Amino acid sequence: MQSKTSFFNFTVFKKNISRTWIVGLLYFIILTLMQPVAFIIQMAHFEEYWYSDSGYTRTACLYESYAYRPNAYIACIVAIVVAGLTFKYLFFKRDNYMVHAFPVSRKSLFFSGFLSSSVVATVPLILNGIVMTIVAAAEHAYAFDAIWYWTLIGVVSVELFLAIAIFSLMTSGQIATAVVFYIIFNYLYFLIELAFRLMASLLLFGMSESLTSISFTPFSPVVFIDNNCMVSTYKTYDELGMIKTFTHSLDGGKYIACYAAVAVVLLIVAYLLYKFKKLETVQDFISVPFLKPVFAVGVSFFVSMVAGAFVAGLVDSIHYQTYNSRFTIAIVATLIIGCIIFLATQMMIEKTVRVFSAKRFGMMVGYTVAALVAMVLIRADVFKVENKIPSANDIAWVGIQSNYTMVFTDEDDILSVRELHKGFLADKQEIRDVNVLYKDVPGGNFTIKYKLKNGKVILRSYAVVDTKSDMVSEAYVSATQPILDYLNNPAQIKEHIIGNIWNNCDIKEMSFSTYTYDENLNDFVSNWESFDYLTEREKKAKFKKVYDAVLKDIDEGNLFTTSFGEDNYNPEIDDQLYNDFSFTVSNKKIPYFSDEDTYWDYQYMDPEPTYERNIYAALTRKCTNTLKALKDEGFYYDDSEILTYEEYNKAMGNPVGEGPILY
Amino acid sequence: MIEVNNVTKKFGDFAALDQLNMHVERGAIYGLVGPNGAGKSTIIRHLCGVYKQDSGSVTIDGEPVYENEKLKQRYAVIPDEIFYFTQANTLDMMKYYKGLYPKFDEALFKKILECFPEVNPKKMVRTLSKGMQKQVAFMLSIASRPELMILDEPVDGLDPVMRRQMWSLIMSDVAENGLTVLVSSHNLRELEDVCDHVGIMNHGKILIERSLDELQTSITKIQIAFDGDMPALPEDIKVLKKITTGRVHTLIVKGEPRAAERAIGAMNPILMDVLPLTLEEIFIYELGGENYAVKDIIF
Repeated sequence: MQSKTSFFNFTVFKKNISRTWIVGLLYFIILTLMQPVAFIIQMAHFEEYWYSDSGYTRTACLYESYAYRPNAYIACIVAIVVAGLTFKYLFFKRDNYMVHAFPVSRKSLFFSGFLSSSVVATVPLILNGIVMTIVAAAEHAYAFDAIWYWTLIGVVSVELFLAIAIFSLMTSGQIATAVVFYIIFNYLYFLIELAFRLMASLLLFGMSESLTSISFTPFSPVVFIDNNCMVSTYKTYDELGMIKTFTHSLDGGKYIACYAAVAVVLLIVAYLLYKFKKLETVQDFISVPFLKPVFAVGVSFFVSMVAGAFVAGLVDSIHYQTYNSRFTIAIVATLIIGCIIFLATQMMIEKTVRVFSAKRFGMMVGYTVAALVAMVLIRADVFKVENKIPSANDIAWVGIQSNYTMVFTDEDDILSVRELHKGFLADKQEIRDVNVLYKDVPGGNFTIKYKLKNGKVILRSYAVVDTKSDMVSEAYVSATQPILDYLNNPAQIKEHIIGNIWNNCDIKEMSFSTYTYDENLNDFVSNWESFDYLTEREKKAKFKKVYDAVLKDIDEGNLFTTSFGEDNYNPEIDDQLYNDFSFTVSNKKIPYFSDEDTYWDYQYMDPEPTYERNIYAALTRKCTNTLKALKDEGFYYDDSEILTYEEYNKAMGNPVGEGPILY
Repeated sequence: MIEVNNVTKKFGDFAALDQLNMHVERGAIYGLVGPNGAGKSTIIRHLCGVYKQDSGSVTIDGEPVYENEKLKQRYAVIPDEIFYFTQANTLDMMKYYKGLYPKFDEALFKKILECFPEVNPKKMVRTLSKGMQKQVAFMLSIASRPELMILDEPVDGLDPVMRRQMWSLIMSDVAENGLTVLVSSHNLRELEDVCDHVGIMNHGKILIERSLDELQTSITKIQIAFDGDMPALPEDIKVLKKITTGRVHTLIVKGEPRAAERAIGAMNPILMDVLPLTLEEIFIYELGGENYAVKDIIF
């Protein structure tokens, strides 16, 4: 009968500690420099620095400092170093055989190793927490909850990364490979998503922006923890820029609890891998039999998909390809590259170049067929990527970004945009090859962005060309014109480009630059009328008249219109005025809703509501109402003071037809 | 004490052990010999609990070896390549062994250490010469007071004086404490001096497993000369090999030596010498006709 063994062996534990304590000491020194020492230095001249003048208290300073301290990255490094040193014997034949010949069971070796690693990695955090608590109390900074919440995050992080590290160490017989696996496991989900998005951005219709909306999920803890499990601070300021209120929150508690549970599960899995590990697999690339085909097929699949798409993208960048030919190139490249990578992974796993057996050839054929099927399914959009339009109930807002940016939150508008998008996609066979069919027609992009109620974003970007061109087909016009009609509706322009206060606002500022040619400088000199001699009321009345003319031009379709094939920053038309015109709309009672800030997620930079907005308008000579009002109100006196880009470029000897020269 | 029954171990498609059977009595000094790749180290790793067999059983005193912490406390292992922790000196290793082996005798360790004055106990073991590292391994193993010692090529790299010292240490433990020893080696001459049982391995199997006495009495070398031609030998004498040099004939005869001596003596030879065979010669003559790489066993 076999004797029972214990989970813990004190001799092994002590020996492990004697080999790894130096890492713990270094970790403690880093933490001490980052926290107690840094805080003592910060507090030494507290009264003399700007934060004291801005209304920060010592406690607020401490909370603030904890909001920006990296946690997971250091824990991630410490974990793999400590675990690597502890379980190093698994990767060297001599050490491996001798350690397992000693009267210690794998259970004892595993759990004693894990416990010693935990002690080395967590004791510095706890000690640092104690030291920081003493320092904080001495400095009258009573943010103890932040100190210990941060310490808790650190402890859970380090335990999670230790579990991942030990799991990684059990999967390979080579320590360098195990470390690479550790990095891969930490970013596995992100890498898979990146591969899919990269492929989608190169191959799929409307997915060119797919890489921009990639984000780190809880499956990539090394990044996610630092961004989501933290001490957050919130401040409001008074008119003088002094802190009015300061609050904080301890965020991400539920994630910390989940990560702790995941760490336990991973640790159990790692133990089972160790328990059933065949020690003769030392120095094997992969030491877990069932992971060998997973690795070979997984790596071949993802790398070949991305490489195939990349080849197609490369060919497309040299010479525009139709959607179908791009896909054909991608499929062929994927299959060839996949087979090569499959054989290469076999060579790594088997540690020989002689992998050309009938069995492996069969596996390769199987893999090739699977990859081909996957590519065909993607081409047929079986996974509903190209045609995906979220349900109206799930949408928080939808934005369209082309020449201008509009964001629609109203239910009817959301439904309208969804229908426009559906109609557009129904004609995608006509639209997706515009780069090949209409390569001589000026073109650009327009983007539809759905912000869902669950916080996720669906982003689609489409290449479009000038609808007014004689070269485009009727089918193309019928597919794109409804969108243009919707965007160029004067009501939409006023509501979304001027803003929600367009019909209930004062015009606080208005500026129009005029240009006269200075022969000495050999350039145009700008000038503008500031109306300093007028009272505020008189100025507002003057601005209001011009503003009314602006609205009239919008109604007549002369201003803020969208036309595919040009954009605001690089207009193909040269009749846009070189003169700058801008005005500020203001309403002290109604917060201004900025479509642009919402679309680009800028609100986080300044969560305080704003009550005014400066609007820049690119005038053309067609804006007759606005130009007349500007002249009538004394912004300029002579038509020679206004000029178009074409006129400016001609006068300056710049190439004509290229719009503004941007610096 | 050691029972290995029908053990098979495969590495991929290669069978390193193939239905292997081995039996070691308590108190025996068992020599395991075989050519390179015969499977000696593999079976030793099974006995140490490092490898788990694919089939069959490996037991010591009736208990399975694999993952048996308590059982392994009763025996010590000296592998062909010895492992010491980085930075550890002899005293550190002594503390480690002391923590793992409940019967570890620190006084004995210090006493043995005195016998090896060239070993500096405060010097990192990994910086010592290969011979000194082996000495440290012996000291640690013997001080662990094991009932069984498993030695894989134990005296490789040691000079003759050191080999003698090592063996005398082991032999005295065998004599005083009834230690059982399993030793694998290429060196048949050395095993002949110390072993009382021998197992010869090839291709993952034990081909012969006998006591040394049994082996030595089963084959005899007889040199004879006759006045004239040599008469025909009786049919009951089984001659494995016959070499004739002039009128002197050397016969390697299988079977009981005295019976062969009597039968040949009755033929009135003018000269007859019965000579003992070395272990090396026994293996050559016993297995020379077989298709085994016996010549590789003997250095």
